[in-house]
Amino acid sequence: MNNSTNLLRRRLLATAGLGVLSRTAIAQTVDLPLVNGTRNLVAYPEKRPLIVLTSRPPQLETPFPLFNEGIITPNDAFFVRYHNAGIPTSIDGDKHVIKIGGNAVGKSFELTMANLRTQFKPIEYVAVNQCSGNSRGHFVPRVTGGQLSNGAMGNARWLGVPLKDVLARAELKNTARQVTFNGLDTALFGGGDFVKALDVNHAMDGEVMLAFQMNGADIPMLNGYPVKLIVPGYYGTYWMKHLSEIEVIDQVYDGFWMKPAYRVPDNDCACVEPGTTPSATRPIGRFNVRSFITSVQDGATLRAGQQAVVRGIAFDGGQGIREVAYSTDGGQSWRGAKLGDDIGRYSFREFTFGFTPEKGSHDLRVRAWNRSGQSQPMEALWQPAGYMRNVVESVKVVAA
Amino acid sequence: MNMKAFKTIVLAVIAFGTTAYAVGATKTIELPADGVQLKPSPLPGYAKAQANCVACHSAEYMKYQPPTAARPYWEAMVKRMKLVFKAPIADDDMPAIVDYLAKTYGNEQSK
Repeated sequence: MNNSTNLLRRRLLATAGLGVLSRTAIAQTVDLPLVNGTRNLVAYPEKRPLIVLTSRPPQLETPFPLFNEGIITPNDAFFVRYHNAGIPTSIDGDKHVIKIGGNAVGKSFELTMANLRTQFKPIEYVAVNQCSGNSRGHFVPRVTGGQLSNGAMGNARWLGVPLKDVLARAELKNTARQVTFNGLDTALFGGGDFVKALDVNHAMDGEVMLAFQMNGADIPMLNGYPVKLIVPGYYGTYWMKHLSEIEVIDQVYDGFWMKPAYRVPDNDCACVEPGTTPSATRPIGRFNVRSFITSVQDGATLRAGQQAVVRGIAFDGGQGIREVAYSTDGGQSWRGAKLGDDIGRYSFREFTFGFTPEKGSHDLRVRAWNRSGQSQPMEALWQPAGYMRNVVESVKVVAA
Repeated sequence: MNMKAFKTIVLAVIAFGTTAYAVGATKTIELPADGVQLKPSPLPGYAKAQANCVACHSAEYMKYQPPTAARPYWEAMVKRMKLVFKAPIADDDMPAIVDYLAKTYGNEQSK
């Protein structure tokens, strides 16, 4: 991959005539480092130009250099992922209603956003959201699905109300087994509505949150305005946007988006031999450990003999990052990187290390460990759905 | 912003001090047009894909698949659209759509 300035080319993008929607736009493109990886960069509402994975419904990826600008991902740069094309484009953020019910509650009720904001004690924390299929485009052999590079993740400060406090009003029955979540987005022909489920103990852990603020502002429409379910440490598939319906039920929910979608091999590594099918699967769950160099892009040129401060980010599913090691020789020898401020165990954690390259080629790698000793594989694991990639990445640079 | 909304915000700021919540209002967005169109083809499935597939979603879903994507994938996707998402695709049209997709975006593309 070349350096980022070479990646951007202005290109005239004339969209076909579609009646009132017809328009001609100047679009930039970006070449992701994968075969068939040319993408448009377009500014969607409340967003800066982001990498368009799909236009309709919108799926937008954050350009990777953005992650070097700070530990918090700005709202206008945060990735977007929808499943169905019937997405809401106008919502009254005061009158929006969340319905709470299901066959395992003693009392069904409704909450308006105004109720949610004023009748509960808010909580706040920083947490990474990451798409299950983040980095799917880098699987070898390739797998089908959304061909993302590494930008379907972001780190934000969420403010809202614990789901536990809301569900306390519903008088859960002893039969309660799972809690399902639905949002305002709809499938155009009624099949395959996007509904997700969590076990009731997880839903009641006090951390799962109904958030109405993101980084101190309203949540952008495309990220779930006016209220989004936050499931810290878990993949974004559970983070329901435009949350409108919560049901506590006495069984395991098995709608399409829980089964067969969003499932991983039911073994320790959530992996299988490349090209094979898992014998058993389970719903995707917590993030594994990941780390990325953000200050240097693959293919960059550094000044020989001059010290560079290399920066990056690491995160995991909520244990918190304990250690980041770095290698400048392709993984033959390792040293400890310096960790930045700890702003919460669900957050990105910054790391830095100094590197004075000699003239020639260098292969930079970073590897993180969380507080329970989990880490990243040196060789990529594989699974057919292309979820949970967390290999130790390689950033090749040349010093001249 | 009307006066009522303005007053509501002022009251909210007074009530919550420095942790003032943004008081919701109606947010409306307008989405840009599709950035990608289906690739024209003399295959009969092209028109059928125009009528069936991109009625619901944009063409990046096909265009950005890895060129290794084989016919069973395209077949499974067209079936999923009908069986799971209830897309009104005529059974008779499905083979032509699959053929167009496999030959235009999959591993049966002419090199």
